[in-house]
Amino acid sequence: MLPWIYGFNWNAGHIIFLGAFYMVLAALVATVASAAIRSRRALRMDQAEAIRWHSDFESMPACDQVCRHVLTGEFQSRQCPHAFDCRECETHAKLIQCHPLPRVEEPEEDVFGMAFPLDRFYHRGHTWARLEKDGTVLVGLDELGARLLGRPDALVLPKPGDRVHANGAAFHARRRDAEVRVVSPVDGEVVETGSAERGWYLRVKPTSNDAKTFRHLLRGAEIKPWIQREMERLQLALTAEGAAPALADGGVPVSDIAAAYPAADWDAVCGEMFLEG
Amino acid sequence: MASVDKEFITRGLRRSSTGRFLLWILPWVALLVFGLYSAGLCLVKGLNQTNMDNRFAFGLWIFLDLTVIALGAGAFFTGFLLYILKIDELRSVINSAVVIGLVCYSGAVTVLAVDVGQPLRSWFTFWYPNVHSMLTEVTFCISCYLTVLLIEYLPIVLRNRKLHDVPSFLVFEHELHKLIYVLAGVGTFLSFFHQGSLGGLYGVLRGRPFAFREGLAVWPSTFFLFILSAAAVGPSFILLTTWLVEKLSRKRLVRPTVFRRLARISGLLLAVYVLAKAVDTLVWINRTSPGTGFQAWQYYSWKPFGTWILFAEIVVFGLLPALVMLTPRLRAHTGWLVTAAAMACCGVALNRFVMTVQTLALPTLSFDPYLSYYPSWQEVGTFLAVVAYGVLVYSFSFRYFNLFPEERELRLEAAAQEEEELALAGRY
Repeated sequence: MLPWIYGFNWNAGHIIFLGAFYMVLAALVATVASAAIRSRRALRMDQAEAIRWHSDFESMPACDQVCRHVLTGEFQSRQCPHAFDCRECETHAKLIQCHPLPRVEEPEEDVFGMAFPLDRFYHRGHTWARLEKDGTVLVGLDELGARLLGRPDALVLPKPGDRVHANGAAFHARRRDAEVRVVSPVDGEVVETGSAERGWYLRVKPTSNDAKTFRHLLRGAEIKPWIQREMERLQLALTAEGAAPALADGGVPVSDIAAAYPAADWDAVCGEMFLEG
Repeated sequence: MASVDKEFITRGLRRSSTGRFLLWILPWVALLVFGLYSAGLCLVKGLNQTNMDNRFAFGLWIFLDLTVIALGAGAFFTGFLLYILKIDELRSVINSAVVIGLVCYSGAVTVLAVDVGQPLRSWFTFWYPNVHSMLTEVTFCISCYLTVLLIEYLPIVLRNRKLHDVPSFLVFEHELHKLIYVLAGVGTFLSFFHQGSLGGLYGVLRGRPFAFREGLAVWPSTFFLFILSAAAVGPSFILLTTWLVEKLSRKRLVRPTVFRRLARISGLLLAVYVLAKAVDTLVWINRTSPGTGFQAWQYYSWKPFGTWILFAEIVVFGLLPALVMLTPRLRAHTGWLVTAAAMACCGVALNRFVMTVQTLALPTLSFDPYLSYYPSWQEVGTFLAVVAYGVLVYSFSFRYFNLFPEERELRLEAAAQEEEELALAGRY
């Protein structure tokens, strides 16, 4: 059947079969080679973290991929098409232009006994970013994130000079059997590392300081409905992971939730809450 | 005993303890070892270890090959429906379908290698192909499609929790997955042809009037019937295996709507197949077979291959499951669905058995005897090795890879329902 093989003839049947066979082989080789070349390019362009985030986002249940405007009641249902990166979203840009968020007078939002200061922006992976006077951005864990991790058994922070990417890993924490990747709310270069005691973990020099830098993050009046929804998600995750339902309406989460549920699969709960697939 | 391999298991998925898993795989490993010993005997000592001979050259192994390749068609067909026809609902079973396809095809190729023998010369089939044999097309297509399945399996493996932590694996998996529609297209093209060629292989046997068929141009009708039957039972086998895995693991893995969609597709294709098969049989009885000097009833006078086998193949394991899967009221019950899917799979196995074993058993010359064939223990052992290999590959894949992407979501939904019920009952 091959040209150098006994029995091969230059007739239509042999040529069609041979052509089809070689086309198939060429398509397979081209597919794998193309994937390899594109991977190499993506690694060189430092896109691994963005790809990881997209992969994590895709593996999230559809009900967890809801648009922020569903949280505030502007939409009844809408799945986020941009992996929570509202910087790319035209709908979000139009909505905030037409319907600016209502002002919240209090300096912080108190939800289920947890304080969420409103001088900062929140990522849906439970980190916050606060713009400092010197132009740097402080990155920390929000109150719910801090209670989920309690006192981490181990913490791996990036070194000053390392780059972090919005939606990429800011730092890693381990609590019980849970290895958690905590997402960075902003792009930039780490200039200093902090600790739980200092109330923040990273000081980042952002790549840019324009209005778009924080556009994907939640703020002001969005915080309360978001945390209310997060508490429902937490309750669901705890029930699914073998913890008896214990968050009655009006209750306040304990300061170390992990310690309160020794039987729960904490790895799964943290994966759910910190948006890690 | 807790899972010592927990960090390799997809986050949020519940799997049995390592001890229980080892207990589950132990008998399959034993069966695999026995099967490998049997296959080794055949490879070392030759085909005298089997009950096949020059007259009865196709036996249990070819029957097994044809059956698993037909059942494994779910991989290409689900890929075709999902990536080409964009039936997004099937995303929840595509990974499982790929693993099943891989198991079926690699198992078939392994058994073929034992059957053909001389594994060190396996490359001869590519370098010195017999240009007049349909088997050449089959060999080319199956080996190419097995390569496609291996490439399709790669992203599933690279999505393993530990491997996903390696940036180059993560990025390669992502980029490869973006091109998966190319693989789906190539897979469909290859499957279409080799399923057809396997059928055509029998249809062109002029010396075997029981199998010989007329057709279109160079393709006998069996070429099209094999494609159609494989496409029809592929989704049924996916349905059946998914249900079985749900029962064994005691977990909900897909939504009931996915079962119903698979059943509808399978039922529709099966109905078309039954119609085509019935027409083909009528043409064969009234024209093709008498044209070769045999009346069709003569074939069925050799017991145990009476007309019951034809009735069972077309009506019991063809028409009935098709009707069940096409009736919305019956489709709504999982029990009916699973029974119908199992019947459809048995139907295709029976068809491949008839084409392989009955064809060769029937005498075609006046001095020919009616032949009986029973596989030797070495043949059975090799057959069992493929079954054990399939179970092991699937078990490991189910444990360490995310075969059913909706599994986690379904568990959260079940938890939400549990909470709602507790709230309604006034527990809190």
